[in-house]
Amino acid sequence: MDLEAFQNRVLPVKNKLFRFALRMLGSEDEAKDIVQEVFIRVWNGREQLAEIQNVEAWCMRITKNLSLDKLRSFQRKGTYPMAEGLEVHQADVTPDVRIELGESMQNVSQLIAALPEKQRQVIHLRDVEGYTYNEICEILELDMNQVKVNLFRARNTVREKLMKINAYGL
Amino acid sequence: MDFEKLNELLKRYWECQTNLEEEEQLRQYFGKGNIPEELKTTAALFRYFEQEKHKTVHAEFEKPVIQNKKTANRTRKGVSHTLITYSLRIAAGVAVLLAAIFLVRQELRKPDAMAISGELVDTYDNPKEAFEETKRALEMISKGFGRAEQQAKKINAFNDAQEKIQSQLKKDSEL
Repeated sequence: MDLEAFQNRVLPVKNKLFRFALRMLGSEDEAKDIVQEVFIRVWNGREQLAEIQNVEAWCMRITKNLSLDKLRSFQRKGTYPMAEGLEVHQADVTPDVRIELGESMQNVSQLIAALPEKQRQVIHLRDVEGYTYNEICEILELDMNQVKVNLFRARNTVREKLMKINAYGL
Repeated sequence: MDFEKLNELLKRYWECQTNLEEEEQLRQYFGKGNIPEELKTTAALFRYFEQEKHKTVHAEFEKPVIQNKKTANRTRKGVSHTLITYSLRIAAGVAVLLAAIFLVRQELRKPDAMAISGELVDTYDNPKEAFEETKRALEMISKGFGRAEQQAKKINAFNDAQEKIQSQLKKDSEL
């Protein structure tokens, strides 16, 4: 693969890689570092790129593995990156609605952040990025069953907790 | 989308039975206004997903990466260039090592040079002569020791006398 192919096939995925790393690590700076590292890995392994059918899924898988390594190193050192606050960009709604929405979306953000690792990955890949189940299997190196179970649990945990917050203000 | 269809779709969504297209329909529905009160929380969830999709790294993000690759490409072309760089590094290392060895050797040789020019010249060229000379020197030392031993024996006389006196005193006290 030459530079042009790299620019056409790998670089456009950067935002997806960034969001996935951000979902796993919770820090924009760390996520950016991960994406840079992914680019380096992909570039170094560009010889085998011809054999890879789904480059995007391959890049996502590298992102997942590097993020997991990073998480483990945080756990070992006992340091965690600062989680950044949620920024709400909703230009088309009125301020009061924006505040209300902002609050409930902040709740959603926290609920998803509190999910177990795998569930968080699956719900992100499906509901934010819109990957097919097959692609998610490939990215996370899981079988279809595990992906569906994790997605089911993730969606329903978030749903139940959101309903609880709404009903009791918890 | 009518309410019944929406509820049906949502039910299937929670059971993970919806396909991507149906999920997109839900997202579009919740992205608009006029959401019934009981679906506000669900709307927040879908709006959150939609909002997350728009998180991006800045446009210039990959610039250093590409720059890096370009320079990497350039250096890949000039393999001889890297070869020269590496061999120069190795040559520099070897030069420093040689200089160090030379200086240390000079430092070590200095006492020898002093001995040649100084007063420490006392060696014999003939090994036989040297052996004889050494033997004589050792004999002199041993003679000296012998003499000293004879003198030291005289001191024993004092010891004998002391012992005699003590034994006499013992006998006296026993009596």
